[in-house]
Amino acid sequence: MDTDALSPLMSALRDAVLDGDARGAASATERALGQGVDPQRLVDGALIPAMDEAGRRFENGEFFVPELLVSARALKASQAIVTPLLAQRGGGVARGRVAIGTVKGDMHDIGKNLVVALLQGGGFDVVDLGTDVPPTRFVSAVTNDRADIVGLSALLTTTMLQMKATLKAMETAGVRGSVKVIVGGAPVTQRFADEIGADGYADNAAAALALARRLMAPGA
Amino acid sequence: MTSRERVLAAMRRQETDRPPFDLSFGIATAQLASIRARTGADDPWDYFGADTRMIWPGPTRLDTDFSRYLGRLPRGSTVDEWGLGHVPTASTDADHAHLEGFRHPLEEAESLADIAEYPLPDVDAAYRYESVRAEVEAVHRRGLAAMAMLECTIFERAWYLRGMERLLLDFSDGSAMATVLLDRITALRIGQARHYAASGADVICYGDDVGTQRGLLMSAAMWRTWLKPRLAATIAAARDVRPDVLVFYHSDGNVEALIPDLIDIGVDILNPVQPECLDAAALKRQYGSRLSFWGTIGTQSTLPFGSPDDVQREVRTRIETVGVGGGLFLAPTHVIEPEVPFENLVAFVEAVTGERG
Repeated sequence: MDTDALSPLMSALRDAVLDGDARGAASATERALGQGVDPQRLVDGALIPAMDEAGRRFENGEFFVPELLVSARALKASQAIVTPLLAQRGGGVARGRVAIGTVKGDMHDIGKNLVVALLQGGGFDVVDLGTDVPPTRFVSAVTNDRADIVGLSALLTTTMLQMKATLKAMETAGVRGSVKVIVGGAPVTQRFADEIGADGYADNAAAALALARRLMAPGA
Repeated sequence: MTSRERVLAAMRRQETDRPPFDLSFGIATAQLASIRARTGADDPWDYFGADTRMIWPGPTRLDTDFSRYLGRLPRGSTVDEWGLGHVPTASTDADHAHLEGFRHPLEEAESLADIAEYPLPDVDAAYRYESVRAEVEAVHRRGLAAMAMLECTIFERAWYLRGMERLLLDFSDGSAMATVLLDRITALRIGQARHYAASGADVICYGDDVGTQRGLLMSAAMWRTWLKPRLAATIAAARDVRPDVLVFYHSDGNVEALIPDLIDIGVDILNPVQPECLDAAALKRQYGSRLSFWGTIGTQSTLPFGSPDDVQREVRTRIETVGVGGGLFLAPTHVIEPEVPFENLVAFVEAVTGERG
């Protein structure tokens, strides 16, 4: 365990995020910075471990959607203070850039939003493409937004088939080889992901974060 | 045995000649057009001989202007009587309800007054149930069972107005805004439930999606705090008027953790029992003496992606494992999406009725 995680200020911040206490997270952040803690260490030692723990509890059925939402809100309260400080010195250490959206025709974004929250909490730079995203926008996420990973989400069997069309569009545009594509959503299975040639599938938001980390690991 | 007798007996867990069936909540636009072309029949419920018909309140006389809540909506959008904006998508089946976007009128609401003064519809007004009584009589004259639709009862209606994430944050914060919103909706639903019960409808279909495929959307404790007492009040209102009216409750996903609570507050029938995430046979063993099961044929798996033989096998398995002693109503677990092959629908109906089409 990182020694930072043991310091009282770091654990106060971590607990505030886990408890969904936005005010507490902001004040713990201010206090830690006031005592000279490096903002990047706050991110690595408190914020990322907090959201990892939130994700773990979600996966285990101890947390539900509301608990993840309040944790994400508390995370944002801390990030609002930390991120500008990191930007002043040229940005934080991102784990990679993920562009994510629900595929064309699909407006169901609760699941996608949870993945966004956990990826952001996990140190990824996330480009949220929103809902009803056409294949061409996923292509430009690679060419213009320089995403390392593209995430496709769908809730319906009808729109799930758009994932295939999106992958095809990426191939046609010649960008498929330069990005990892991950898929998820209620009707999606590992088998379907394999069939359409995706690089990975996750059946919940915490597993999506773990998957993104595996794909960004050296040699993946 | 008429369809109505079959539905009533089976849902009261008595033996019937065969399980009752219907086509769930509807059919996606493209699929409906294709079924009509294949069958030459306008109404698939008539064509396939479904045992039920759905009934809703008559049209409203109100004409509320919601523009101050919704702002400018994209071209092609519509606004319903609750003030929810329906925004079309790029989908090829854009007029199908599951493929449109929402604009939530209370998403930016910041005060209790915003919620308390919001113009709710008159879904509980007596004049809207004159047509309901006439429709119930007409359905009964045909020997069919009448289902009075009260779906999106409280939670879904509330988040349609407030936005799901906002409403769940309100719950987490213990916000009075959520209390007032839920109470106002519940009062309307109590009125509706009374009118429906008085109309002679056989089944009142309540429903709020509170499940994901992995488990509950919110903790059981949160559901018990915010939703259970209000749902219970709307069920009690119907039972107050007609003690023997059947109470159907719909939630997608895995809501197994709530089943004892649902039975507690008077639910007779659980829908749709998605086979992708629930084991209907196990639920039957555990709760079958107190609960009936409606649905169970997967619209996410077998119906779109299986063969006609797979569909027939799934139906036979359900009849053998869940249908024993009644308590089983067979139906697709949700709207029939465009990918479901026509042959699979035919196989579903044939397997239930034992008749070749």
